[in-house]
Amino acid sequence: MEAVARRKAAAYVCRSCTRQFQRQLRRNYSNSAPRPDIYDVVCVGGGPAGLSLLTALRANPVTSHLRVALVEAQDLSKVKSWKLPPNKYSNRCSSLTPTSAFFLDQIGAWEHLDQTRVQPYHEMQVWDGVTDARIEFDWAPGSAPVEGTTIAYMNENLNLTSGLLKRLEELGGVSVFEGAKVENITFGEETEDLDLSQWPVVHISGGKQLTARLLVGADGANSPVRAFAGIDAKGWDYNRHGVVATLEMEGEGWGGEHTKIAYQRFLPTGPVAMLPMPGNYSTLVWSTTAENASLLKSLSPKDFVAMVNAAFRLSPVDLAFMHTQGADQDDEYSWRLQHTSFNPRAIPQTVVGVQEGTVASFPLKMRHADTYIGERVALVGDAAHTIHPLAGQGLNQGQGDVQSLAKTIEFAVTHGQDIGSIMSLESYVSERYTANHVLLGVVDKLHKLYSAESGPLVPLRSLGLNAVNALGPLKSFFMKQAAGSGTKLF
Amino acid sequence: MRSGALIPADDRPSKCSAPTTASPSATTQRWHSNHNSSSPSSSSSVNPDEISHFNALAATWWDPHGSSRALHLMNPLRHDFIQTCRSSSPTSSFTVLTEDSDLPPSPDAANTSNTENVQELRYLDIGCGGGIFAESAARLPTTSSVLAIDPSPGVLAIARSHAKKDPSLSPKLTYLSSTIESLPTLKPEAVEKKFDVVSCFEVIEHVDHPALFLDHVAQFVKPGGWLVMSTIARTWTSWFTTNFMAEDVLGIVPKGTHDWNKYINEYELRGYFEETEEKRRFWGRPRAMGVVYVPGLGWKEVPGSEKVGNYFLGVQRLASEDA
Repeated sequence: MEAVARRKAAAYVCRSCTRQFQRQLRRNYSNSAPRPDIYDVVCVGGGPAGLSLLTALRANPVTSHLRVALVEAQDLSKVKSWKLPPNKYSNRCSSLTPTSAFFLDQIGAWEHLDQTRVQPYHEMQVWDGVTDARIEFDWAPGSAPVEGTTIAYMNENLNLTSGLLKRLEELGGVSVFEGAKVENITFGEETEDLDLSQWPVVHISGGKQLTARLLVGADGANSPVRAFAGIDAKGWDYNRHGVVATLEMEGEGWGGEHTKIAYQRFLPTGPVAMLPMPGNYSTLVWSTTAENASLLKSLSPKDFVAMVNAAFRLSPVDLAFMHTQGADQDDEYSWRLQHTSFNPRAIPQTVVGVQEGTVASFPLKMRHADTYIGERVALVGDAAHTIHPLAGQGLNQGQGDVQSLAKTIEFAVTHGQDIGSIMSLESYVSERYTANHVLLGVVDKLHKLYSAESGPLVPLRSLGLNAVNALGPLKSFFMKQAAGSGTKLF
Repeated sequence: MRSGALIPADDRPSKCSAPTTASPSATTQRWHSNHNSSSPSSSSSVNPDEISHFNALAATWWDPHGSSRALHLMNPLRHDFIQTCRSSSPTSSFTVLTEDSDLPPSPDAANTSNTENVQELRYLDIGCGGGIFAESAARLPTTSSVLAIDPSPGVLAIARSHAKKDPSLSPKLTYLSSTIESLPTLKPEAVEKKFDVVSCFEVIEHVDHPALFLDHVAQFVKPGGWLVMSTIARTWTSWFTTNFMAEDVLGIVPKGTHDWNKYINEYELRGYFEETEEKRRFWGRPRAMGVVYVPGLGWKEVPGSEKVGNYFLGVQRLASEDA
């Protein structure tokens, strides 16, 4: 029994630590109580944030000796073997900034993404649906950053998680508990020579208990780990839903295959964005009211396509009318289009189809946890913050959290700190909290600013967009911020 | 520093009988044991008042926002300083674990390098207090054992009960209620019982006879090993920052922790290791690092500040013969 446990321990940890484990094993087996299964890091949640954190810890020689576990409710083997034909794209895509891509490359995960399904884009067209004030984010000659002209990479979330899982498999050394639900989180026990009364114990389905030196909540907006730590998350619901879909376009974009463009139009109901995917495909993120969202989901493919084309072309009044129609938006769009003038090159090419089964929606919220750490607890990604998708920053914020937490853990290890203590985790919060808070606030204000249809804000905001467009240096500053390559403002 | 002093000379603390300049004259009496006419009456270097002071502090020792926060924040710098010392020494084969993770090597390379570089280092921590340094030293993968001693039973009880909270510590960390003088003396040839790193952090300023204390400590340092200390220079700046500001105004250090008269300047401490030919054969050239506490940011290394405030001094034992 002990030999088995010793062999098991040896698979996870370096030789000197195994020796330590063996000493502990011997000591603990003399007691009658069962030996707690102690991990240095237990990560709850196998989404992009949790998987990136474990990959970062495993890939770094300084932290690779840590004993780490992953608890995930889904069956990860399905995610790892995820594959779609080249003419199909998942409807859940995210924009990865060059900073996030660089981090993923550092931890050895980027090369495991299917690169034929990753689409860099180089320009952004953003305009106000009410006033038509416009800002064109393209690189003026000489203004492009040395890192390249890529603003961000569009990528399916499953391509990322699948790539991270492949990289983790290559690295090895993670105890994976998949298809495992967290049933309860309690504290450990105090015995005569060991006091684990401040150590979280994760009870998972099947009766297994994992004791954590550091428990990481990468478990999403309704984080059970956050609830365990007694950390409150404040914010509000936008009463808006994000409608997503995979679209087929008439061509590969006005800039051709090598200069892809992202489009976003601010409508009074919320921004509608079309982001380029490889070839003739694009992904849609349309923030709108719950009623509009359920109408859009109920439409025939033909009428849905008409509504999307209308959203980038027709006036907000026309569009509002079309939302009152139960069907036949296609005919209505063809008629109204003849009476609307626009520059076709300034808006996305015409949508010609929607991939079956990809129209879906989810409610939009803004949430920010009061803190990201507690004694032996750290929160990353959506467990710590939920942001409006209009700036495409949600996943990137999570990657920023992970990069910072991995660095914090590395510092703790090299300086003999207990990686679960508040003292070691403090630098993670101080590095990330304000940065995330500012971004959450800016995006929240942008949403509110552009939700107004009339009143004093409307002329002011068009002034804002036009002015920014005219001021070359300012615009290039904004673009570098979006790409995460600029001077660190946040 | 006097010209820039914030406290006029007339407002000097009354207990301060030390010279106003940073000249060695009056302090050498207390400092250099071999010139001292009267030897200390007690065999211990430790002042009983100091012990009772630290007993009273025990309860909040491990509270990250408690009385010892400044010490918690300083602790990583102690490891950085030891790393710097050890990697500077020609006799050390110790490999520095790099903090720069820009391009992590492949996992296989990582694992082999990790196990190959593991050196079983023995630490002796004198005046370990609640165990902030001792625990962290025991957690390092390069450490084989830590013997941590302190004469205050109250703080040692805190240290022991806190160490119970981390199961990785007990195989490596031993606490002993003892002064350095009451540890069994080691014969010169008992090299394997000696220590690779002997640390006394924030200790010397609490010791009545520093030179006698250091004379005694020498035997515990393994040839090639390092004696690493940190303390505070006796200057107007240090009186203002550590006594007046830290204790009286900001309250970040418990009142009565420091006696400015016992502070030792960097050149005095350095002088101890360089004063005789014999000492220079025994000890290598001392290395110093000055650090400054910046409220809100923590401790920062500031070159040259060892002359005015908190500083580290590390010295490698060269010879194999005993002092």
